[in-house]
Amino acid sequence: MDRREAGWRGYAAATATVGAVAFACLQFRATFAPIDVAMLLLLAVVVVAARSARGPAVYASLLAILAFDFAFVPPYYTLAVHEGAYVVTFATMLIVALIMGGLTARLRAEAGAVAARERRLAALYELGRALAGARTPAEVAEVTARHVERAAGTPAAVALRGAAGALEGGGPPFDRPRVAEAAAWVLDHGEAAGTGTAEFPDAGALLLPVGTPLARHGVLAITAGAGAGAGAATERRGLELLAGQAGLALERLALARKEEAARLAVEAERLRTALLSSLSHDLRTPLAGIEGAGTALASDAERLTPVERRELAETVVEESRRMTRLVANLLDMIRLESGALAVHRNWQPLEEPLGVALLRLEGRLADHPVEVALPPDLPLVSVDELLLEQVFVNLLENAAKYTRPGTPIRVSAWRDGAAIVVEVADRGPGVAAGEADAVFRKFHRAPGRHVEDGRPAPGGAGLGLTICRGIVTAHGGRIWVEPAAGGGAAFRFTLPLEAAPPSVDPDAALAFPEAP
Amino acid sequence: MTTPAPVVLVVEDEPAMRRFLRTSLRAHGYHVVEAATAREGLAQLAGRNPDVVLLDLGLPDADGIDVTRQVRATHRTPIIVLSARGQERDKVAALDAGADDYLTKPFGLQELLARLRAALRRAVPGRGGAEPSVVTAGELRVDLGRRQVFRAGEEVHLAPTEYRLLAVLAAHAGQVLTHRQLLEAVWGPNFLEQTHYLRVYVGQLRHKLERDPARPRLIATEPGVGYRLRDEAPPAAGG
Repeated sequence: MDRREAGWRGYAAATATVGAVAFACLQFRATFAPIDVAMLLLLAVVVVAARSARGPAVYASLLAILAFDFAFVPPYYTLAVHEGAYVVTFATMLIVALIMGGLTARLRAEAGAVAARERRLAALYELGRALAGARTPAEVAEVTARHVERAAGTPAAVALRGAAGALEGGGPPFDRPRVAEAAAWVLDHGEAAGTGTAEFPDAGALLLPVGTPLARHGVLAITAGAGAGAGAATERRGLELLAGQAGLALERLALARKEEAARLAVEAERLRTALLSSLSHDLRTPLAGIEGAGTALASDAERLTPVERRELAETVVEESRRMTRLVANLLDMIRLESGALAVHRNWQPLEEPLGVALLRLEGRLADHPVEVALPPDLPLVSVDELLLEQVFVNLLENAAKYTRPGTPIRVSAWRDGAAIVVEVADRGPGVAAGEADAVFRKFHRAPGRHVEDGRPAPGGAGLGLTICRGIVTAHGGRIWVEPAAGGGAAFRFTLPLEAAPPSVDPDAALAFPEAP
Repeated sequence: MTTPAPVVLVVEDEPAMRRFLRTSLRAHGYHVVEAATAREGLAQLAGRNPDVVLLDLGLPDADGIDVTRQVRATHRTPIIVLSARGQERDKVAALDAGADDYLTKPFGLQELLARLRAALRRAVPGRGGAEPSVVTAGELRVDLGRRQVFRAGEEVHLAPTEYRLLAVLAAHAGQVLTHRQLLEAVWGPNFLEQTHYLRVYVGQLRHKLERDPARPRLIATEPGVGYRLRDEAPPAAGG
């Protein structure tokens, strides 16, 4: 977009060139024929035309004619012409100058156009490359704005369509109310607006839509420069191409997001289906056992021996208890998730909920000697006894389920600063290094490799540890698993001691008369 | 002379539950009277004068706790309430309103029979003799008259408050006592909120009387409700 030598410099250069040549020829007027001088002056005009615009070229040719007439055509030093033939010479010089000027001007213009095209392509390529690495729409906006600013030489910005459907962000020139208005229009209509267009020509900026005809993602605003005028059309074409690039990049990102969302939805669906089918299996299996045993007892009682009848009845009891546990777990999970878990705290020794759990699990812990190591001076804890009982039940049950019969389980606790740490450790296969966090997730079940002696992997919905975590968290504590010293898994949880436990006055009861 | 079969009034709206209770109790020598609603139940109570009432807390036509109060207003019949897991507050409320014991559904037959036996034993003085002055529970022997406690034949020395607590539990051997009832009986009505007193003293009793304090078999915790001095071996634990 150069306007080289369009100003007085072109005329000054023309004057100097023609003047120099004329002066030089003047010195050799005796040796040069007039035709030679005419050629030299013509050459001067051509040189000027090649380096200047049309105006100086025409001026140079006029100057050359005048000089030729004045100094090289008799009568010398006058503008009169003796022989009419020189008129043809003058006319020819003028025409040649005009044509030359025109040709060179056009050549230069074309060269300029080619250079501009090349610059545009380079800018497009640069932008394309920069956008290929953009990962978010905000990045696309930022990169585009910078490139456009560099190309246009004036501040530019890109505003994107936000979640609500209106334009968000941008910065200058979007902070100008007129520009904002125009931008909203552009977003709605998908056409350019602003300087040099029919809509909002007074906005002080050129606004271009960014996006595809189907999905308008935003608006590009370029502050109008001082030289908006000649060349503005080509400049605008270049900006439109840049906006187009940005639009493609945004479209690409939008499609990638949709694809990811679809993939996640499919994955979630798959997981839900797997969960449902496994839960349904877990619920139906005991029911099948109960129904089977029950129907046998109901219809075939006489054909069965007393021992068989007893066995069937026991099956009914066992499977019912299994279902009860499963249903209780599911209900606890629902309560946890819906926030309906009420925690009723009472100061009590940790021994108490542990004792209830141990007695409740007596049958299932038959194969696992449980060692209890609670220091006698362990302070009272403020806990919900039912919930903490559940934590112990779940941890002990897991320890029994996932370890070989005969292996011991150890429950211990100690004070650690402002909290009590409780540990339930077993001597089983332990928890694999990467799974320490995963085991607490809903429906997580140990994979079949925990089968060591041909027993099928233990059932259960995989909710036990999740429930433990919910309960411990509700008490302000933390639960985790680490490898037990000497092999196995050690599940630990903390119970913060927020306040000192209340004291007990040994004589308090004596003041009250005994009941008869 | 054979004692007449004790009459159990079953107030329960679930037919399957009633069938189970009717069949099993009859097989164990009880005479069963059934009612499916609170209204029916109260009518049967007035008409048949049962020896013990099994009352479901989830009746369709009335709040089980209100029914308990209504029964208590006119009768001293022992009441055992039946309630679902997770309804501890209801159980405590019913016990404080006058019920004698509770069972958590689902429960087994052995547990039910044990509770019935305990309830009937305490029911009417004269049925099983006068208020017992010596209570035996496993290895434990509590002589309420002489204020002596023996464990496996050897006397155990208890602090005054400890003895008082044990005595209250022993007087209701086999039956549950709520935290509130125990606190009121041992420490008086001003201590109803100081449950930690109860916990600490129960712990002390356990350490003096239980073979394995970590797995107490004599003084059992009824989670969310209270304590019970077991005078029979607990039924085989399951769920």
